[in-house]
Amino acid sequence: MPFVSTRHQTVRLLIVLSVGHILLISAQVQTRSGLPLIEQAAFQTFAWIHRTAGAMAGALGGAWGGWVALHDVERENAELRVKMAELEGRLMGLEAIARSAQELERALQLKARTVPPTLAARVIAGNPTPGILTVLIDKGRADGVARDMAVIGVDGIVGRVLGEPAEREARVQLLVGSSAAAAAVLERSGAGGLATGQGATGGDLWMRLEYVPNLVDVQPGERVFTSGRDGIYPPGFPIGTVEDVRPGADFRDIRVRPAVDISGLNVVLVVIERPASSGGGLR
Amino acid sequence: MRFPVVLATVVGAVFAQALLARYAVGGRPVFDLVLVGVVFVALRWDARAGLLGGTVGGVLQDVLSGGVAGVGGLAKTLVGGAAGGIGARFVITRPGARALLVAGASVAHRLVMVALTALIDQQWPALSPTDMLVETVVNTASAWLLFRAADGWPAIVERRRTRRQARWVRRNW
Repeated sequence: MPFVSTRHQTVRLLIVLSVGHILLISAQVQTRSGLPLIEQAAFQTFAWIHRTAGAMAGALGGAWGGWVALHDVERENAELRVKMAELEGRLMGLEAIARSAQELERALQLKARTVPPTLAARVIAGNPTPGILTVLIDKGRADGVARDMAVIGVDGIVGRVLGEPAEREARVQLLVGSSAAAAAVLERSGAGGLATGQGATGGDLWMRLEYVPNLVDVQPGERVFTSGRDGIYPPGFPIGTVEDVRPGADFRDIRVRPAVDISGLNVVLVVIERPASSGGGLR
Repeated sequence: MRFPVVLATVVGAVFAQALLARYAVGGRPVFDLVLVGVVFVALRWDARAGLLGGTVGGVLQDVLSGGVAGVGGLAKTLVGGAAGGIGARFVITRPGARALLVAGASVAHRLVMVALTALIDQQWPALSPTDMLVETVVNTASAWLLFRAADGWPAIVERRRTRRQARWVRRNW
């Protein structure tokens, strides 16, 4: 009876594969607090898939932008020239402010803060599993990237390097992800809190600012910055803007809109130096 | 069932998912082409193809995602096996009916994933109905296109062969 035999084979295969998966999951969950060896080895081995997919995406995008969609280039160039002139003007203004701030710091005998050294990296892949907010960048161990290094974008904090990077790639956990958090400080009051990612719930990416007492005056539109107290993120970088504030039992319930639009993330900067964990305040 | 073909199909689906995930950073839009690939092999061949395809595709996806390897693998193995079982029991030949099966598989897969994550994390993860709906619609549309292409491919090949033969006959005549 070939049908029965095939059915039995299928059932046997289902049992074997399911037990295999359960054993695989159990092995990782048990050692998760220690060293997730399976995950690490597998990431190092299969990172080439992301690299190749990223290269293909880049080539396709390059071919499209460089050959097909050239009709907008002239207009775009003109717009960019105007924007560059504006930015140069703003930069000069900021340099002037920085100089006066440095003078003030010297006058007040404060320890001067330096801009942390960064490394530019290209985002080469998103996460193939829907709902997990990580991206892959094209810089890894060989470029000096290490675990837990902060990753910033043009508008503010993006996330941190998750786990040990591969030779040429690293995985970045986005700050808006549901298991990510950063020590934060409010712009006006200077009150500290913990900005926690809430993931893409309801198709909207947002964060919550926790542990801010009800006594602190918080207004919608107020900006939230990193405080540097977590020892990962450098102080003074934008996290987001307060969108909604409600009083809670002990602490305020604060909803924060992220400063960085991660859907348009192409180039990021990896902060290749850890901040002192005792840092604080706005930069 | 030809294992290399099943493997190639599922690895291709993982590759396509990795490629397109670059443009969906932030989880919008949500889609799972690996699941589409798994259901495709399950219906094209049999339940065993679905089981093996689900295992390979799911574990590869887990590994690339950086999550616990095996969670997606187990979910896709179960869904692939079930899809293959349904495909063997009922005659599902029309692309629309197959795409509908993919819609059911998408919902089942998401629910299994949520249950497994809840078991591991000891708390229920947030489940967005909007995301689930978007994922189901995108997966179903992709599956419909894939099945249409797979069904139409032999006819295209046959037409080209006939045309080539006719040209050869004309030339010799």
